[in-house]
Amino acid sequence: MGAGGARLCSAQAPWVFATKTTNPAMPCAELGCRGLERRLKESSGYRGLGFGAQKSLLEIPSSRRLSISTKMNVRQRSQRARSIGRLAHVQTSGHLEEQTPRTLLKNILLTAPESSIVMPESVVKPVPTPQVVQSSKQESSRGSLELQLPELEPPTTLALGLLAPGRRKRRLRLSVFQQGIDQGLPLSQEPHGNASASFLTSSLNLTFATPLQPQSVQRPGLARRPPTRRAVDVGAFLQDLQDTSLALASPGNSLRTPAATLPTDTVLEDTQPFSQPLVGHSPSVYHSLPYLFHTEAKDAEKAVSHRTQSNGPRLQNHSPGKPAQLLPTKAKKVDALAMSFTNTSSAISGEDEVEPSQDVVSEEAEEMMEESLNMGEVKDTTGTQGSVRTEKSERHAEMTEAFEAKEPEGSSGDKDISASPELASSTTEFLQTRQLQFPKSAPPPSTAILSSEDLEPLPTRLPPRARTLGPRPRQDPYKTGLSHYAKLFSFYARMPMEKKALEMVEKCLDKYFQHLCDDLEVFASHAGRKTVRPEDLELLMHRQGLVNDQVSLHVLVERHLPLEYRQLLIPCAFSGNSVFPAQ
Amino acid sequence: MALSTTVSQRKKIKRKAPRGFLKRVFKRQKPHLRLETSVDLLVRVCPFFGWLAVGQRKVHLNCLLFVHRLAEESRMNAFESKCGVIKKEHVQAAAKV
Repeated sequence: MGAGGARLCSAQAPWVFATKTTNPAMPCAELGCRGLERRLKESSGYRGLGFGAQKSLLEIPSSRRLSISTKMNVRQRSQRARSIGRLAHVQTSGHLEEQTPRTLLKNILLTAPESSIVMPESVVKPVPTPQVVQSSKQESSRGSLELQLPELEPPTTLALGLLAPGRRKRRLRLSVFQQGIDQGLPLSQEPHGNASASFLTSSLNLTFATPLQPQSVQRPGLARRPPTRRAVDVGAFLQDLQDTSLALASPGNSLRTPAATLPTDTVLEDTQPFSQPLVGHSPSVYHSLPYLFHTEAKDAEKAVSHRTQSNGPRLQNHSPGKPAQLLPTKAKKVDALAMSFTNTSSAISGEDEVEPSQDVVSEEAEEMMEESLNMGEVKDTTGTQGSVRTEKSERHAEMTEAFEAKEPEGSSGDKDISASPELASSTTEFLQTRQLQFPKSAPPPSTAILSSEDLEPLPTRLPPRARTLGPRPRQDPYKTGLSHYAKLFSFYARMPMEKKALEMVEKCLDKYFQHLCDDLEVFASHAGRKTVRPEDLELLMHRQGLVNDQVSLHVLVERHLPLEYRQLLIPCAFSGNSVFPAQ
Repeated sequence: MALSTTVSQRKKIKRKAPRGFLKRVFKRQKPHLRLETSVDLLVRVCPFFGWLAVGQRKVHLNCLLFVHRLAEESRMNAFESKCGVIKKEHVQAAAKV
């Protein structure tokens, strides 16, 4: 081993190189090591320690190969080499002067990712360096011995790739090294444990294990996870739609773009051929649409929820009355919505409008709603639809032609039909449908369906929709409130939840409210009253087990309600013998 | 309901119109019985914050606690099944019990 030791020292040189300046206790830092160090210095700068190490390794291996005797040595060497190489990297990049274990570790951590990429080299190199740093003669001696082992392996593999310069060299060597490593990998596992005497090496070893094997996996193709294509697809599709819509907006392209977009939009819209009629109306429609888009984009979204709630009751009241008045207000709101949303849906809807559709207003409404739900961008669709519809409604009252242009997105040309014949009746229906649409836009997040395939079943659903317009206003605001609590649920759960789970929560809440009302009713009647009072609620909470002897109502109030409510619910004594809230 | 103006510190979710929602709940009550009033209308004379009736608040508190319990239960179910996501089944199982 003496000769080998000498060679080992030289082999160590690359790693020792970095540590050499600081660590004196290197028995191996003898003639051979120094010579190697010099070689390293010459061959590579501080940066390319890897290169330098490689070169040195290459030089050394030739001599080492002959001396290689045992597999163990090779394994150990590889281990050491890696650790040392990494250290060398770190050291070269960092401060060569101060190499305390702490700094080394820090450097390692900093450069860990780098080293992983160039693992073979770093793997080879770092091994000796930690040994060197240890600064204990025994360690160093051991390290020298160990250095011998790793060196044996890399040299054999590296020798082949000597010619390639720099990075290419690395890669080639890596490939070659891989083979060597793979062979020596099972053996190298053990030496890792042996080498872990020094904490540095152990820390390095930990990293070694992982990069070793994944390297072969990583390198082959620099395999990277493909980006989320799905998101891109949708986004790209929307972008295309936008482009097409914009193109459509320009009157000149109205003819061509609709046709072009037809095939793409068929999925979203009803498959109705609308080539010629679209031309005449599209300009007017698109003019209005771009106008919408340019206004407040995001405020509309926020306002949607408010609008839906406010519109719902308002619409109900006014629907029989003054649809015309409501239409402009709604139209404005819808416009805001439309503006915030992408133009794609509007473009699509514009195209749809052209189609002379059947006289099914409800169908249109349903389609619009469904489409809005089904569209990948639920909000967008609803927004655009809403805008389109509002426009339609307005125009219907005014002009019969407008209906064509106002086709909501995706929906078939049925809207046109409804618009023309039934101005008065349709307007009210449109209002209702719009009401449906608006509230739909609010809860869509919980019920969003990305697939646009649902558009097809829309026509089937349309007929029942028209009849169930009555309970609709009740459901929508109700649902928004439920969704509010559903969000609370997800917040309390502190875990990601599925959309279906949220729906389930809403159902449970629904049942819970039913039970709640029943109980309150029973309590009130038991007390001989017909109105529910807070005492009933307290009793309810008692029965539910929420309020015990340990936990009182006030405690619960303090826990869950905001401060203001607390003051309102819990009587506090103020100065002047006054209690608030008064009891 | 501008709860957000005052609350929103502890509540991450701004309570929009709890009053309106409870009114909806009241509508729900309608189907099975009427005259369940005064809970909504029980407005305390509070010069500071008289936007929500005490009864309504209590109902609100009740709902909160219910949701809280349900969420805890379903979260435990999800943990038991070692899922990182709360699924429908977890919620259902929690609700049945």
